[in-house]
Amino acid sequence: MASNGGGSSPPSASSPDARPSSPFPVTNSSPTQSTRRSGGRRRRGSASPYPSSPSLGGFETPPHPGRRTPSGAGAGAARQQRQNWTGRFPPTPSTPMSTDDIPPSSDAGDDETDGAGAGVDATPVFVWGTNISVQDVNAAILRFLRHFRDPRDAGRVDPVMDEGKYMRAIHRILELEGGESLDVDAHDVFDHDPDLYSKMVRYPLEVLAIFDIVLMDLVARIEPLFEKHIQTRIYNLKSSICLRNLNPSDIEKMVSIKGMIIRCSSVIPELREAVFRCLVCGFYSEPIMVDRGRVTEPHICQKEQCKATNSMTLVHNRCRFADKQIIKLQETPDEIAEGGTPHTVSVLMHDKLVDAGKPGDRVEITGIYRAMSIRVGPAQRTVKSIFKTYIDCLHVKKTDKSRLHVDTMDIDNSNANNSTEEDFLSDKVEKLKELSKLPDIYDRLTRSLAPNIWELDDVKRGLLCQLFGGNPLKLPSGASFRGDINILLVGDPGTSKSQLLQYMHKLSPRGIYTSGRGSSAVGLTAYVAKDPETGETVLESGALVLSDKGVCCIDEFDKMSDNARSMLHEVMEQQTVSIAKAGIIASLNARTSVLACANPTESRYNPRLSVIDNIHLAPTLLSRFDLIYLILDKADEQTDRRLAKHIVSLHFENPNLEELEVLDLPTLVAYISYARKYIQPQLSDEAAEELTRGYVEMRKRGNSPGSRKKVITATARQIESLIRLSEALARMRFSEVVEVRDVVEAFRLLEVAMQQSATDHATGTIDMDLIMTGISASERQRRENLVAATRNLIMEKMQLGGPSMRMTELLEEMRKQSSMEIQLHDLRGALGTLMTEGAVVIHGDNVKRV
Amino acid sequence: MVGPQYDLVGNPLGAVRATFERTAAAAAAESGGSDPVAAFRGKDWGACDLFRSFLLEEDGLDKVPVLNASNLGLIKPNTLVRYRGMVQDMLGNEYYIGAFKDGSTWRTNKFTDFSPFSMPHPCDSHLWERHLFHCVPAPGQNSWTMESSPGPDLRRMSSCLATELREKRKRDGDKDDMDVSENGHEESSALCKKPKEDDVHVSSGSNEVAEGVPEMNRGDHIPGSSFSCLVKVYDMPDSQVKLNDVIEFIGVYTFDPELAAPSDNPDDIMLDLIEDVIVQLPPSKVPRLHCLVWRKLSPHDFISRPPVVEPSPSILKGIRQSLLSHLTLVLGNDELAAQCLLLHLLSRLRNRVDLVTVGRLSLNFTGFNRESASIFGNQLYSLIQKLVPYSQAIPMSIEYLNTATLQPRKDNKSGRLVTGVLQLPQGSHLTFDETLLQTGSLTSKGVENTMLLKNLMESQKVDYDFEYYKLDMATDVQLLTLSEGKSNILPSDLVVPFRPSSVPTIDAGSEELENWRWYLATVRSLPQSTEPETYQMIQDEMVSAMRDDRSLGCSELSRWLTMAQIMASSFGEKSLSLEHWQMVKELERLRKQRLQ
Repeated sequence: MASNGGGSSPPSASSPDARPSSPFPVTNSSPTQSTRRSGGRRRRGSASPYPSSPSLGGFETPPHPGRRTPSGAGAGAARQQRQNWTGRFPPTPSTPMSTDDIPPSSDAGDDETDGAGAGVDATPVFVWGTNISVQDVNAAILRFLRHFRDPRDAGRVDPVMDEGKYMRAIHRILELEGGESLDVDAHDVFDHDPDLYSKMVRYPLEVLAIFDIVLMDLVARIEPLFEKHIQTRIYNLKSSICLRNLNPSDIEKMVSIKGMIIRCSSVIPELREAVFRCLVCGFYSEPIMVDRGRVTEPHICQKEQCKATNSMTLVHNRCRFADKQIIKLQETPDEIAEGGTPHTVSVLMHDKLVDAGKPGDRVEITGIYRAMSIRVGPAQRTVKSIFKTYIDCLHVKKTDKSRLHVDTMDIDNSNANNSTEEDFLSDKVEKLKELSKLPDIYDRLTRSLAPNIWELDDVKRGLLCQLFGGNPLKLPSGASFRGDINILLVGDPGTSKSQLLQYMHKLSPRGIYTSGRGSSAVGLTAYVAKDPETGETVLESGALVLSDKGVCCIDEFDKMSDNARSMLHEVMEQQTVSIAKAGIIASLNARTSVLACANPTESRYNPRLSVIDNIHLAPTLLSRFDLIYLILDKADEQTDRRLAKHIVSLHFENPNLEELEVLDLPTLVAYISYARKYIQPQLSDEAAEELTRGYVEMRKRGNSPGSRKKVITATARQIESLIRLSEALARMRFSEVVEVRDVVEAFRLLEVAMQQSATDHATGTIDMDLIMTGISASERQRRENLVAATRNLIMEKMQLGGPSMRMTELLEEMRKQSSMEIQLHDLRGALGTLMTEGAVVIHGDNVKRV
Repeated sequence: MVGPQYDLVGNPLGAVRATFERTAAAAAAESGGSDPVAAFRGKDWGACDLFRSFLLEEDGLDKVPVLNASNLGLIKPNTLVRYRGMVQDMLGNEYYIGAFKDGSTWRTNKFTDFSPFSMPHPCDSHLWERHLFHCVPAPGQNSWTMESSPGPDLRRMSSCLATELREKRKRDGDKDDMDVSENGHEESSALCKKPKEDDVHVSSGSNEVAEGVPEMNRGDHIPGSSFSCLVKVYDMPDSQVKLNDVIEFIGVYTFDPELAAPSDNPDDIMLDLIEDVIVQLPPSKVPRLHCLVWRKLSPHDFISRPPVVEPSPSILKGIRQSLLSHLTLVLGNDELAAQCLLLHLLSRLRNRVDLVTVGRLSLNFTGFNRESASIFGNQLYSLIQKLVPYSQAIPMSIEYLNTATLQPRKDNKSGRLVTGVLQLPQGSHLTFDETLLQTGSLTSKGVENTMLLKNLMESQKVDYDFEYYKLDMATDVQLLTLSEGKSNILPSDLVVPFRPSSVPTIDAGSEELENWRWYLATVRSLPQSTEPETYQMIQDEMVSAMRDDRSLGCSELSRWLTMAQIMASSFGEKSLSLEHWQMVKELERLRKQRLQ
């Protein structure tokens, strides 16, 4: 059914047993049409659901009333009567099917099969136009209700629970007296009786009416005084159909569709029972059922003494009304075909279902798809050949409330109580969780972030941490620690910093992208400014406030005015913005991560100057960045070639993006927002220990004489950063515990960020040969191996404090020992690392072990 | 065999019905009368083929009048018309009684809103579906595109048609019925008679309407402005037509007075609630078109010269030269600017990988002030108007940004997509005049609009607002910005300081314009082939360029390659050679010089 997309297969022609045109012609003729419209499901809504017309008769066309055997109809008719006069006369079961005839808990299958028509003639009764035999379906439903056992309950051996799932549900309804509907899982029906299921889906009007009758019978036998009507609500069909694929062959069938509610009408009271009063004598008539949308006003007062004609008037407050509502359901964004607009369908809700969802909710609706002919006017010559379609709703299930991608943040901001566990579709969550269990998820995420920007793996890791973020902490004392990670990218032009920023801006839920030149940072209004000299126009906007709970990307940070930059101090630590307007100082929330990028002071990195001198930002501001990446462009033919290859492949339409397993953008966004929302990792004891140890070490290194001014020393802020980074790393694995490995990786990130392994701590300059940024994992592995090999060699060949060795000699030795291709600059790099470890000292070309 | 029997233009429905009844009868005979029509759901029984061959193979297209605002009242209902428009909104599907059994004959309602025969109450019938598209004239469509396909002159035609056709149609109707009975349906004459009467009734009814329409319309229509059309398309697989496609629909124009009458049926509350989008599109203002044949329009379809499969490079080179020299003149003898403009006009979106778009080349001419913008800008824009099928000029001022509706928005109340300036057909050209932009505050709408424009510039996507979520629609729009300094609000790929040395005064001849249009359309559709050698050559070139200038980044190199590719196609070459790469490098060198 669902696959019937193009609407190509003629459904009726292929099924020989079905009268092909059965549901449609009736819709034309006005009397029958309204029978079908109002006679079916709508009626079920009222508390006494069977108005004036005999219930089953509604499904038969007038020419065949005699075809129903009296006994077969007996059950229905009896119920019928009882329902109609309920509360007025005591129930007098006049049929053989009285309560004591068949005990409710009876498990003798035999009497049920013919329960509905005990001792009847063998000719089956079919509902007109279908292959439904009333007795068969009746019996099948009864069997299902009585005998269906939930497979999940199979293990339990509880004598009390030895009743079927639905019998228990019925009992519960009777006990509570509250529930007016019985939810029936269509999967259960299918498991128990596939034939019943298929009949139910194909002829829902007929089968559900029988279902209700059977249910009421059942209830009456258990609790004869129970008066409320219980509705059957089917849900969870085997297959759900895409809104777009609904087609004429689905009409009058049970369908299940997912969508988003975009509009709800107001609640419409619909008259169900009308009460009239005689204007002459004041006599109140019996309640008159609404039949097919019309009430027949009595012409004569029924009171024997009065008998006045045309004296009856409707008494509104004695009438009974039922709720009705029409909602519009629209396709969810993910189902919309490329280059199309979403389809919508109207859904008719009754009684309890009214206001079950509000606009913006994502729901799964089970209902009957119906068509209704349009009459053009009262004096129409021809009935217009066009139909309107709607779904008569049986069951509403909310799938997920929030808009996963864009506005997750928005929602918990504007409507805090709106966020519930239902936000993510469970199957989606399962997929995400599965992903998180992959051993290489960290690398995979890294690869997925801006896959068309090459290298810069460690920068991407840092940015990933920023996206996941740490836990904000609020101490009872009022002190709060931010969870947002701020990153500064400093680097040479042409190192795709801006692209990274753009990408982050696209990825983060409430990202704002702004240029340092145009950021007034705090302003609430946006302003177009013009450079008086060049005439360049820029948009100045209050970026920070706008990106509350998101990532604020500031390009050209170095060109930001000092005034604006100073405002960042407050934002980046206290996460508020103070604005003085008209004598009032307002403090606005700006819980944002800042991602800034800047060029070095002399627009290109000067290797002769120290890192600090190159960046040239106030240390107070610098220390507020958790990670400061130096993206230095090292002339490297290999990298250039890869970049060139990448560009060329993009253009020649064979993007062989090295089929790495990467997450696509929506998945990545979903992954991040899920982690941010549900994973709140805590530090484990071992991890805390590791943090302390590492931090002490870092402090030591920064304290080496003479270096204080030249390198960025570790401060207390750093340890906060490390905690945040470790938390973010744990979040990436969906882990509730921060483990030692997270802390180790956090330290590594921090170190790599500042090129610390390449920094000569004595002078604060960077050895350009040692730049690590942008080195892929495999390359890093290779270098680590090299360092290890070098260390071993030095341990082996050199004495502690012994004579020094020339680097070329060392290289010779290395080449002899290992199979690796080793260049001099590789070795130099390795030695540099060893030097920072304090294992060797290098003087010019000589190496000395210390 | 059927073709000559019917006036396909004047009475298309007659042909539709005749083919239907014949096929149904044949199927009935074959299947033994069980249900011959069921198989027709979602399928054509030969009617469309008939029209297709008539229109496309027998040159019938020229006989079909073009439906537009000016002749809406003149065209008779139930005749064949053409309509060119952009799919502005998709209104979902509509179910209708496609076929029903009238006595023992199957009749069809396909391609009409009303059954021409009265449908007997309860009868066997089939429910079929059709797609509804709300179409508008393509935004920014330039006037030259209209000239290329003039239909028969309706005004002249209608005067004689009005009487003649009426007669003919009547006869046709008669013949219809005769055909049916001849085909072996031995029916009682009563059955046959009734539909006939009905038929006549319909036609006379519509006759009145035809006269009534002009009064109804005149007040509401400024010709060509908001003239929209509700097109009903049959048997189309989903997603063949996309939003913003420009399509020529050929089909039956229907108008029925009863549809026009507001339905006052207060007792059926259901109808009011499950209200229809179509209610807001009254037939008196929005004509209905039941589409028989449709085709997507490419720029080539607007050009009278037929497209050439293998255009010879020498011809292309010649036209290129003449176009370039004209562009140079218009740009005040600034050849560099002219070269860049040519590349810009030839650019198109080739590929989209993730967030990266390949092939676009938005251009920013700097160095304008208000005066020069009014001189050169206007000249330039009027030339662009004459060259590309769809173009618009947008005055970027604070006021415009704060007030204009750029973003298309779904109005969930009415169920319709409310169009915005940025709902554009693929291949549109936009010119922004930023010299009008003064300093000032933007409202939230202004900020939203700038974000939209920026997003369009950077990723060639427009966010459509669906109230509860945004939907990205991919576009392919050429963007040209004229500004004083480099525009940071509209960041273009290529920034060229404009240095004119003379004031343009020339106009191009119409033949030249024809040639240039053909050239632009041809070159833009030229395929690009790649050889491994080119691959390697480009890579080497890039690496050496990077060695020379460390500030070159991914975006720049990517742009160079785009330019080189366009450069190659502009000469009619299918593959890129070193020569073109060098030309681009030279262009870049000159441009960089100016930037300093």
